[in-house]
Amino acid sequence: MPLPGFYFPPGSARQTEAELYLTADGKYLEVRDGGGTLLASAPRRQVTVTSRLGNLRRKVAYPDGALFETADNDGIDALLTGHNGALARLERSWRLAALSLLAIAACTALFILYGVPRSAEWLARETPPSASRVIADQTLKAMEGKFLLPTGLPLARQQRIRDRFARVAGWEASGHGYDLLLRNAPHVGPNAFALPDGRIVVTDQLVLMAKSDTELDGVLAHEMAHVNHSHGLRSVYQASLIPAAIAFITGDASQFAQMTVILPAILVQSAYSRKFEQQADDDAAILLRRQGEDPAALAGFLERMELKTCGKTGCGPSWLGSHPATSARAARLRRAPAQ
Amino acid sequence: MDTRPLAAPQAPAASLRNTMRFEGSAGEYFKIWIVNIALTIVTLGIFSAWAKVRSKRYFYGNTYIGTNAFDYHAAPLRILLGRAIAFGFLLAYSLTAAISPKLIGLWYLLFLAALPWLIKSSLRFAARNTSYRNVRFDFHGSYWGACKAFILWQMLAVVTLLSLLPFAHRARDYYHINNNRYGQTAFQAEIPVGKLYKYYGLALLAILGALAVIVGLTGGTMNIFKPADGLVIAARIVAVIFGAVAFWGAPAYLGALTFNLALNNTRLGENVTFESHLSPVRMTWIVFSNILLTMISLGLLYPWARVRRARYMAECMTVVSPADAGDFQSMPMPAGNTIGEEVASFFDIDFGL
Ligand SMILES: [Zn+2]
Repeated sequence: MPLPGFYFPPGSARQTEAELYLTADGKYLEVRDGGGTLLASAPRRQVTVTSRLGNLRRKVAYPDGALFETADNDGIDALLTGHNGALARLERSWRLAALSLLAIAACTALFILYGVPRSAEWLARETPPSASRVIADQTLKAMEGKFLLPTGLPLARQQRIRDRFARVAGWEASGHGYDLLLRNAPHVGPNAFALPDGRIVVTDQLVLMAKSDTELDGVLAHEMAHVNHSHGLRSVYQASLIPAAIAFITGDASQFAQMTVILPAILVQSAYSRKFEQQADDDAAILLRRQGEDPAALAGFLERMELKTCGKTGCGPSWLGSHPATSARAARLRRAPAQ
Repeated sequence: MDTRPLAAPQAPAASLRNTMRFEGSAGEYFKIWIVNIALTIVTLGIFSAWAKVRSKRYFYGNTYIGTNAFDYHAAPLRILLGRAIAFGFLLAYSLTAAISPKLIGLWYLLFLAALPWLIKSSLRFAARNTSYRNVRFDFHGSYWGACKAFILWQMLAVVTLLSLLPFAHRARDYYHINNNRYGQTAFQAEIPVGKLYKYYGLALLAILGALAVIVGLTGGTMNIFKPADGLVIAARIVAVIFGAVAFWGAPAYLGALTFNLALNNTRLGENVTFESHLSPVRMTWIVFSNILLTMISLGLLYPWARVRRARYMAECMTVVSPADAGDFQSMPMPAGNTIGEEVASFFDIDFGL
């Protein structure tokens, strides 16, 4: 059965109507015009046929550069068995598309819930301490001088905090080394954060806001928990794993692709971060209770901090934030069981 | 007196006007796209190169001029190899960034030196893997040419406080178009720079106007930590929307205008000309709503968005040729492309045309 289509001579854009034949012995593919004149002929093995894709015309390329094209997809698949295109059949089925969609959704969920956190955890564990040190140095260097100024606290007050810090650090038998950095941060306000190598920065503004030593103990225990779990390193890895996966799977690093995933990426990142905060709160509560101190002090401190930075309306919706809602954190701290 | 001419003036050779068509459908492409993503995940990313080629083939193969469509020929294996190499570079770069940021400057220098080569290579890769009616496109731009068009002209535009920006734009278009060939026949663009000045001026005015409105609405402060009442918040929301429309819309608007200008002033050989009448408003709307709807649908409308854009762009372009395109001949092509072209294609630098 001849297939109708168009013939192009080698290297030429001139098209003529023609037909494609498979010779009786099945070995040669021939192109003939309406009058039966032979236009092209080659052994079947030397001819390449494009794979089926949607309704695209199929191209039969001859080794000398001649081309035959036909819109008869079924015809060419029948003529040349072995070119029937399993992939194209998969791509035509709505049922398979729905199945693929479900599989992709499941894989994405697994990747976000387990894949990213677990691999980040593993990477953080395998990161040598010297690398953590370098990253911490870089972070500090970027902030020092601009956001972080030398502490303005009186020496006696500094010593008192250092003593508390050493005491809280002693509660914890994890074997991590910690170091306290006191800094004046007028633009940042009351805040504390842990660096990957165990250094913990506490701002003067936070120290001045604390009404009791127990409140400060709570903050220090919370930050030490971040260090114990390598939360800093893990969030760095988590932040880079998702874009890397998207670029790798879609092969599309274009602006369009980036812009459409920016919002979900931010939401996922903050969800990870909220989980870390909760873990740090839980650890701090256990540590405080074990020492006979009340985690409610930390809860009260967090509430005062929110009131100061965001006013009575609170700091915005919690599903967007890097920290859980303060009210939820405070309630959880107050409920924390003694262990 | 009979004023009618005795004979009709010598009519120009009958010319064919072929408006481009996109014949793909969103439903068909959706199925192809989703199945290919599933296969990519199952193969841990290996299949992505095949998926990319199938996607490209689908769009090229459904874009028709007259009776024929384009064709895309890149070999997935080579794309995969190029990607692996590019990925290695990205990894090395990130490691440098994490471990000794002082050396990052070296990477930027390296990237700047490689940029013209990347541009040249990716344009050549795109051209050589595209064909229409059995004749392939080709690209002859040089490293030095890309250096001038994409780095030196841009630097000059910055130094002159953007007053030479239209010239820089034209240099980019010239590098792109005038080095492209269809078979043995060269494309030739001659773009009136005055028009570019007009378009860039309009875009600048739009952005300045938007800035004025935003400053007016917010009083210049955008401190989101400060407590605020409803009216102030509403004003800020309006300002943000306005800003987004102006800062993303102005480039899209400008892009459509300059695209039309470039294509309307391009010839292929002596006789083939092009017409493009993208509506800037409609193009901006399509770009915007595509991003928005893709975001809201969690990516599910991505195939529809791509098909919609391709269909509109095809509808707006016409090829005017004296007769059948059969006279075009292909160049004898050196076999095999260099790996560099695939590496470059990973970065997918998109030049719009
Ligand atoms: Zn924390």
